[in-house]
Amino acid sequence: MKRKSVVVFFVLFLLATGLWAGGKQEQTLPFEQRYMSMSWDQIVEEARGQKLYWYMWGGSDLINRYVNGYVAGRLANEYGIRLEMVPVTDATTFVNKVLGEKQAGRDSGGSVDVMWLNGENFRTMRAAELLFGPYADRLPNMQYIDESDSSIANDFGYPVEGFESPYGSAQVVMVYDSAKVPKPPSTVEDLLNWIRANPGKFTYPAIPDFTGSVFVRHLFYYVAGGYEELLGPFDPELFDAVAPRLWTLLNDLEPYLWREGKTYPETHTKLQDLLANGEVYFDVSYNPSEAASLVSQGRYPESVRTFVFDSGTIGNTHYVAISYNSSSKAAALVLANLLLDPAAQYEKSRPEVWGDLPVLNVRDLPKQWQEKFMRLPRSSSVLPPDVLSSHKIPELQATWLEAIEKGWTENVLQK
Amino acid sequence: MNKGLSLLILLAPALVVILVLFAGGLALGLSQSLGYMPIIGAYGFSLDAYLELLGSPGFLPSVLLTIFVSVTATGAAVTLAVITALSLRKHFVGKKLVSFLYQFPLTIPHLVVAVGMMMLVSQSGLLARAAYRIGLIGDSSQFPVLVFDDLGIGIILVYIWKEVPFIGLIALAVLQSIGNDYEEQARTLGANSWQTFRHVLLPLIVPGILPGSIIIFAYTFSSFEVPFLLGKSYPAMLSVLSYRLYVDVDLDARPQAMAMSILIALFVLILVVIYRRISEQLVRRSA
Amino acid sequence: MIGDRRALKGCPACSRAVHRIVIAAIVGAVLLPIIPLAVWSVSHSWFFPQILPSELSGRAWAYIGSPFSKVLSALANSLLIAGLVTAVAAMLGIPAGRALGLQRFKGKAVLEFLILAPIIVPGLAVTMGIHVLFIKLQLVDTLYGVALVHLLPSLPYMIMVMSGVFANYNVEFEQQAFSLGAGRIRTFIHVTLPAILPGVVTGSLFVFLISWSQYILTVLIGGGRVITLPVLLFAFAAAGDNAVTAALCIIFLAPAILILVFTSRYLSGESGAMGGFGRL
Repeated sequence: MKRKSVVVFFVLFLLATGLWAGGKQEQTLPFEQRYMSMSWDQIVEEARGQKLYWYMWGGSDLINRYVNGYVAGRLANEYGIRLEMVPVTDATTFVNKVLGEKQAGRDSGGSVDVMWLNGENFRTMRAAELLFGPYADRLPNMQYIDESDSSIANDFGYPVEGFESPYGSAQVVMVYDSAKVPKPPSTVEDLLNWIRANPGKFTYPAIPDFTGSVFVRHLFYYVAGGYEELLGPFDPELFDAVAPRLWTLLNDLEPYLWREGKTYPETHTKLQDLLANGEVYFDVSYNPSEAASLVSQGRYPESVRTFVFDSGTIGNTHYVAISYNSSSKAAALVLANLLLDPAAQYEKSRPEVWGDLPVLNVRDLPKQWQEKFMRLPRSSSVLPPDVLSSHKIPELQATWLEAIEKGWTENVLQK
Repeated sequence: MNKGLSLLILLAPALVVILVLFAGGLALGLSQSLGYMPIIGAYGFSLDAYLELLGSPGFLPSVLLTIFVSVTATGAAVTLAVITALSLRKHFVGKKLVSFLYQFPLTIPHLVVAVGMMMLVSQSGLLARAAYRIGLIGDSSQFPVLVFDDLGIGIILVYIWKEVPFIGLIALAVLQSIGNDYEEQARTLGANSWQTFRHVLLPLIVPGILPGSIIIFAYTFSSFEVPFLLGKSYPAMLSVLSYRLYVDVDLDARPQAMAMSILIALFVLILVVIYRRISEQLVRRSA
Repeated sequence: MIGDRRALKGCPACSRAVHRIVIAAIVGAVLLPIIPLAVWSVSHSWFFPQILPSELSGRAWAYIGSPFSKVLSALANSLLIAGLVTAVAAMLGIPAGRALGLQRFKGKAVLEFLILAPIIVPGLAVTMGIHVLFIKLQLVDTLYGVALVHLLPSLPYMIMVMSGVFANYNVEFEQQAFSLGAGRIRTFIHVTLPAILPGVVTGSLFVFLISWSQYILTVLIGGGRVITLPVLLFAFAAAGDNAVTAALCIIFLAPAILILVFTSRYLSGESGAMGGFGRL
């Protein structure tokens, strides 16, 4: 009798172990292979207890507060996820990191989980297969995004295809000191005339600074007579026809620029210092609320205002992306979704928090949210959302950018 | 326990660390500069990286700038160090406090000095504002460009500020050990203070501060942090250039970064060898 | 000393005036870069050509104190790493210094060169080379990896100071202790240690400050994950927020000033040692 019960017990034990191991086996399938068939609740459950490293630009105390305070707080309290923001000065830092890890064969347990990514860096990482996805459609909050908007579906003309998810939007504005420039220009033509009439009081950051690059692109649209023909893949013939007009324009402008164009401020920050100290009267910014934030920090005088060109200013979207070798992909999805939550977008838009434009399609939101967004207080230096959106023009594809940037360095800087 | 073994035990731990980190780092850097980089699948041995580097348009301007900054900073620091040491050896009211302040720059990290210097000498810095107040300039653009400029003047100022006490303390020690006898003799012979300095004191001080000066020169030559913060991006000082090549997204630039590092290290090592030979000569001479 | 006060041939008033100018210049030059830091850290708006800020504010300090700024954790990291480096450097450097200071042996000159070389050869160059090895050994992105790489520029200093101390050390006291029956450990604690303590303290302060001030080595090996004070400081300096940068500078300065006060009081007269600080 005793021996039989031992055998039975043993067999049962084996069965149990087998089932347990089999179950474990199912769980150890990598996330990439399971997430498509998981429900959102299952993803949230798996994310619980995970730790996330979000690599992003860390030079703004306002953004840092939003991410480390509000976002991290909600992730911890509502989802049990620990968020660690890793500040970087330059996005290529983390592109390099993931690339290096892939080259070293480190396909899991990567050091970078989530990244604030854009344009050229997105393209580099996509091409090198460094990103996890497509994942955007798995996020419940994507229902609030207008995916037919080409400036959301494309990151610098490169189709996103779900390998990034948006979380904010940007639009270029021209910043000026109204105490020095009581009547600002409203067209590109007027600006150029103003510069010629007021030598030494305008400049733009040297390429490859992001802001300097986008300013030059506006002038590129101007000499091309509009952007419509430029959308789409890079056209070398078209570029060769238009670009020389741009270099001539910029070179002819140089004597009227700050320091007679012999040198350009190296970064956007340095241009901001120039405006703050009255050396120039204009700044270019990718963030319509940046001027207001700087005023509240005391970096800009209170007379600073913004305007957009009648012909429009370039707008784009900020995205987050997930690295292919992250070991916290479930938590990354939860973060991406949280960033699109109406409450999070609202908080982000508040001027004293960040003032970043919401990327949600406000009209798709429940009524009470629509009203909240409409009633957001705005400082006098921030343009109303309808003015901004009615003057929004798209970005060019990344190859155009590279050609323009290279051309500027060769034809303007080194001349 | 025999002597050799006990010696080994005492030295081994430190030696292992230094060998692995330092010698290993240099060796790995060297091999990568010669094209052995498994990470991008390169197993070759070639001098391509060195040739590309030497031929690149940014290299020569960087070398010239780096030499200019190092020479100027070292020269000015040594000169000022000697002048201040001459004054500090006297007795005066408040000598203790001034001596304390004199040593202050020694412990302050370079980054802090760089930030402070930027706030002081930039075109909208404190000195520019003072100049405006007393009517020397009418606009901030009239103040000379001292940071993010072509000559690296802001960088030079930072190094002068840090290095003067370093050399100065050595000069002070030398002056104190010399004593006043030589000077008094010179004066009884009719020399004025300049002649005394030029022909009596200076030759006695120089051997003492020469090794230190070489160290400063080598240090300034290979420095990174200060030019990274205060320097113009083109031309960049050599260490900054090497770092930029290293973090370039194009991993093919990495061998060039290593080549640059090896060149810098070689140059500095040669300087050290010169320093040691001079030290040995001085020891022999004084013996 | 008579020579000091004897009137020099030519122009006694001139030489006194020159002397005064030099002294004033020293005081001015030392304080000048530090003053804007103090003022910026509490200013709200301070535009050209204002000599004093038009508005003061505690924003920078409030931000630093807030948990969202990571300053407190960066401070903790800096202290931890510097402490770790100091402890390891002492453990490795004291015996090495003893060997170099007390004994003569073949190849000593070569060894000394090898040990001092890391002080002169730029840390960045060596770290770029060793980076690959650290990645392989999974030391990157870790506190310990950063501490290890900080040893590179700092260990030689400890060895140098300790070898100088041991060169002046009289071994006979130890031998006397042995002959009186004391064991190794007791001898070390009661005879050796007190004698070498000033040197250990000096060396430790060197090492601490060197590790405390490291920036690019931390960035390279820490991979952005290990955030120390200089890393934060640089990020804010590059972003142009002068108030926060200045406040961070002041925090960053604090140990340096403390150490200076401490050494000038208790370790006087070691001008060579003090000069070594200039390498920071």
